[in-house]
Amino acid sequence: MFLFILKRLAQIVPVILGVTLVVFLIMQMVPGDSAVILAGEGASIETVEELRENLGLNKPLYEQYFSYIANVFQGDFGNSLKNNQPVLDEIMIRLPITMELAFFSILITIVLGLIAGIISAIRPYSLSDIGVMVVALLGISLPSFWLGLLLMYVFSIKLQWLPVAGWDSAAHIILPAITLGAGGAAIVARMTRSSMLEVVGQDYVRTARAKGLKEHVIIYKHALRNALIPVITVVGLQFGSLLGGTVLVESVFAINGIGRMIVDAIRTRDIPMVQGGVLIASLVFVFVNLLVDIMYRVFNKRIDLN
Amino acid sequence: MKNEVVLEVKNLKTHFISKKGIAKAVDGIDFVLRRGETLGIVGESGCGKSMTSLSILRLIPSPPGKIVDGEILLNGKDLVKMSNEELRKIRGNQISMIFQEPMTSLNPVIPVGEQIAEALRLHQGLSKRQAWDKSVEMIGLVGIPSPEKRAKQEPFQLSGGMRQRIMIAMALACTPEVLIADEPTTALDVTIQAQILEIMKDLQKKIGMGIIFITHDLGVVAEMCDQVGVMYAGQIVEHQNSATLFRNPLHPYTQGLIGSLPKLYENQEELQIIEGTVPSPYDYPDGCRFAERCPFAQKMCIEKQPELIQYDEDMKVRCWKYTAQWQEESSSREMVTQ
Ligand SMILES: Nc1ncnc2c1ncn2[C@@H]1O[C@H](COP(=O)(O)OP(=O)(O)O)[C@@H](O)[C@H]1O
Ligand SMILES: [Mg+2]
Repeated sequence: MFLFILKRLAQIVPVILGVTLVVFLIMQMVPGDSAVILAGEGASIETVEELRENLGLNKPLYEQYFSYIANVFQGDFGNSLKNNQPVLDEIMIRLPITMELAFFSILITIVLGLIAGIISAIRPYSLSDIGVMVVALLGISLPSFWLGLLLMYVFSIKLQWLPVAGWDSAAHIILPAITLGAGGAAIVARMTRSSMLEVVGQDYVRTARAKGLKEHVIIYKHALRNALIPVITVVGLQFGSLLGGTVLVESVFAINGIGRMIVDAIRTRDIPMVQGGVLIASLVFVFVNLLVDIMYRVFNKRIDLN
Repeated sequence: MKNEVVLEVKNLKTHFISKKGIAKAVDGIDFVLRRGETLGIVGESGCGKSMTSLSILRLIPSPPGKIVDGEILLNGKDLVKMSNEELRKIRGNQISMIFQEPMTSLNPVIPVGEQIAEALRLHQGLSKRQAWDKSVEMIGLVGIPSPEKRAKQEPFQLSGGMRQRIMIAMALACTPEVLIADEPTTALDVTIQAQILEIMKDLQKKIGMGIIFITHDLGVVAEMCDQVGVMYAGQIVEHQNSATLFRNPLHPYTQGLIGSLPKLYENQEELQIIEGTVPSPYDYPDGCRFAERCPFAQKMCIEKQPELIQYDEDMKVRCWKYTAQWQEESSSREMVTQ
């Protein structure tokens, strides 16, 4: 297990290299010139050139890239082109917000998904099952910005139960977390249902029944524990798309997290900011995947043997 | 206390009802099980042995399965009519079951000791500690070395033979009155099989439970059983003491089965096999279900189904050959040929 974790941590280095390279290249290909945008409308050619010189933007590409990488490994993500503040400072302010949003979203994904999946699986093809699965299908097919706007319209504008946007109180978390977690919850629900239905037909569940165990013990102790093994993997995958989703949801609900930071930075071609944001998001993703793999092994000791 | 009837099954019918039609998997089974006695149920695969045993604990997958008729009396109380809650208190406590597949019948993520202990806590009200100790004791009793260590392991760390011993320990933990063993050794190799059978006989002497032993292996029947019911196409076609069955099989099907055993001392060139196929449970013929494969079949066999008749004390058979009508018919046949 220890060796396994060590190996996985070592894999982070190529991930950093790959992600920065890809982002770096994409930002080069996007039309628009950061020096021109930075200098503002109506700036003279001389001003723009001076800016370019100061920012090191006229050096060859590979040189720009390698000096960036060297700095990153020393914990220096560069400064924002916009206000010359260190990128890392900005990230440290915004990361907790995004993490909080992600945490509550994944909580909704897991809790809502499991409950719905179990309800469905207990009575397959009943009305409750069909109802849950129709809602789940909607949850998967609705784009999250659309769901976000819908929720905002109903609960904030019409009913006025919850704040429209921002990130000041616990009430502010509810709608964005639901918006972001809903799609995942739907996928987890479907996975839990099919996994439970498969497990319930297994011989060991019949054994549990033959022992005279109560129905809830059979479901939660004997069936669910086994059914969860594939669900864990799905939750891990969901976390990845959830990180992508923060970009949209933070924009819809005007939350100053990493996602919105990246979008704003792309708009102003603030390359160090974009790179820093994407790099941090990738690192979080890699760590969460590692966590999921460890959990998978804890739940399913059989694979540790091989 | 021996000879006292613990379980009596009367006219049990378990059918599977689906779009494909009605599969009469179990179609009117009767038997009696006495304390301390072993009743064997033999028959080819698919004849309804497992469905009979699952019906007793009402573990038939439902839908599509359903007990459509009959009574299952445990000490005179009908399990078919019981509420689920009442039945739950009987399962694993008064009636236990061992299944054919030791590899898949234990929960893969729960330590085996806990899988035994949970039944003890439930039915005997033991504390966590007491149940665990009893569980370890049971694991030792079925002949697994270092039971304390094994109890903490999960099934994947145990061999097939050991898992089946765990199943036996689990089934017998609450000292049931009836143990149903559905082909408990079929999946195991021969030496392990012999050990498991030894353990079952041993524990039967200690606990005194009645055993319903389901198998398709006549060798195992001879070794284990006092009484034998021979099943064919969802019905019992012959019922005898196992001592007399091998010497004097009555039903042509049983005769075929016993004839198909390789005999050690006889110079037998070929295994005798019964020709033809078993009729589909969706579409049984009107007459005797074995008639199509029976070397003795007459017109009456194809027309009408024979009843299970008392041939002699402790001997029952479902065959026209042993009826008065058969005698009459055959004498008239002889007259025609003369
Ligand atoms: N789920 C099911 N649906 C329909 N028929 C079934 C089902 N399960 C079992 N049966 C029928 O029950 C018959 C008896 O099966 P079983 O009791 O398992 O035989 P065996 O004697 O080999 O244990 C089978 O031939 C099959 O037709
Ligand atoms: Mg069977």
